[in-house]
Amino acid sequence: MAVIEAEHLSKRFGKRVLAVDDVSFNIEPGTITGFLGPNGAGKTTTLRMIVDLVRPSAGSVRILGSRYRDLARPTTRVGALLDASGFHPGRSGVNALRVVAASAGISYERVDAALEMVELKGAARRAVKGYSTGMKQRLALAAALLGDPEVLLLDEPANGLDPEGIRWLRTFLRARAAEGRTVLVSSHVLAEVEQTVDDILIISNGRLLAQGPISELMRTAQPVIRVRSPQAERLEGLLLAKGAAVNRLGDALAVRGPTGAVVGEIAHAGGVVIHELLTEQPSLEDLFLQIAGTRREA
Amino acid sequence: MSALIRAEFLKLRSTRTAFGLFIAALVVSVVPAVLVMSFVPRDALSDGGAPIAAAGLTLVPILAVVFGILGMTNEYRHGTITYTYLATPRRGIVMIVKLVCYAIVGSAVMAATALLVVLAIALIAALRDIALPWLTASNVSDLETLRDAAMFLVTAGLMTAFGVSLGALFRAQVPTVAGVVVWALAAESIIAVIKPRLGIYLPFAAFQRLTMGGALRTGEADAMMPSISRPAAFLVAIAYIAVFSVAAVFISMRRDVT
Repeated sequence: MAVIEAEHLSKRFGKRVLAVDDVSFNIEPGTITGFLGPNGAGKTTTLRMIVDLVRPSAGSVRILGSRYRDLARPTTRVGALLDASGFHPGRSGVNALRVVAASAGISYERVDAALEMVELKGAARRAVKGYSTGMKQRLALAAALLGDPEVLLLDEPANGLDPEGIRWLRTFLRARAAEGRTVLVSSHVLAEVEQTVDDILIISNGRLLAQGPISELMRTAQPVIRVRSPQAERLEGLLLAKGAAVNRLGDALAVRGPTGAVVGEIAHAGGVVIHELLTEQPSLEDLFLQIAGTRREA
Repeated sequence: MSALIRAEFLKLRSTRTAFGLFIAALVVSVVPAVLVMSFVPRDALSDGGAPIAAAGLTLVPILAVVFGILGMTNEYRHGTITYTYLATPRRGIVMIVKLVCYAIVGSAVMAATALLVVLAIALIAALRDIALPWLTASNVSDLETLRDAAMFLVTAGLMTAFGVSLGALFRAQVPTVAGVVVWALAAESIIAVIKPRLGIYLPFAAFQRLTMGGALRTGEADAMMPSISRPAAFLVAIAYIAVFSVAAVFISMRRDVT
């Protein structure tokens, strides 16, 4: 059974803003799923609909087989990081977590354990207003972990983390998945989650563009051909005429569509000198741009 | 439910808002009491002027409303409402617990402040050798005085809950506090002048009728202004709080937390 089942989920704010448009997906147990899309794509709204903070305008979403509000002691089953700034600035870190624990009927021992887990125990007695953005992010992560939940929903958890923090987060998420937990993590920085996730959901302008295991989706992505030529502008014209997608920066071209061999043949036929031609495996960002671009054209 | 109550009191203990209410209550009530009892001539105090030393207590319920507003709007302002509703998605229960907890704290602050005011007055009266007939043991323990005191505490609690419901309805902290202060101190007075019969049924007029009915009551003032009985004022106050609280619960249940 899927851990999260969203069916035809839509959310409209007022008459003009359609934040989420007919989104359906399933999240399988024990996986890390990346929920990817640019800022304003509808990721946060979707996550908030999953935990009943935002009411869907249409459709439904179930988590662990029922609506979030129908789960008994929900924070012991689902941990959510939705707003890293969601703490009273005058409260100490430990008290901020104790308030969350007390509301959920979770023992204060778990507060210490969660602080330990996010490596924030040394700053636990300090007021939250003195925390850096990264520390607030870790505190929010600790709040999500308080109930030792089997499902984690993390909205942009790497925001404000330095490179060391991002690496720490990656290891942390992998460890949670290894324990059999299910993680749904949203991000607009695609490179950040590329090495972490098993499955991906790609959303843009409120619509779900693609979903599935990252390995399968990456297989469908077209490689990028990098070409350097002193006649780059002329080569760009030839490639565009053949229907390729081309980005040019100085004497370098990034070509999507034709294979490396075809690019070489087009250059040869046009009498264009090439200094360098190599085929690059696409990144998650390339995949996203391809999917988003294809859907826009469609 | 008990977990929510525990959390609500922890929220109050772990920030300075409740402590700030207490300090503000002391500033508006105990400080004037000490000044009046220390500097007003003895004869004026002995002749029945001493109760005016406790007049600052009537401002405490207004502070209690502001305290209630801050308690609720702080949840939205700092985003803690997200964690509150994640832990308890049944938002109606959250609101009911908050209304009750804040009413208890409002009453407790009122009780502590009133006790300190009476102690300050009694202490300075003893030091200056001023006789205060209204503060004799038999007077303080008579039924009417006890009823007045109880009504004062209940009103403070009700007004705190009223503040919570206003905070839940309007969410924006500064406009809500400013709006309530302007309404309580200016708008209701203007309406009372234009439409006296309507003015007595406005919320803060009803609250004031409840808190002014005790030791500070002046027969002349009562006779000059149209008024309703204290039981009627109590019913009016309860009606306002019920309507605003139900609206707050209803709207909180339907509102998106973005």
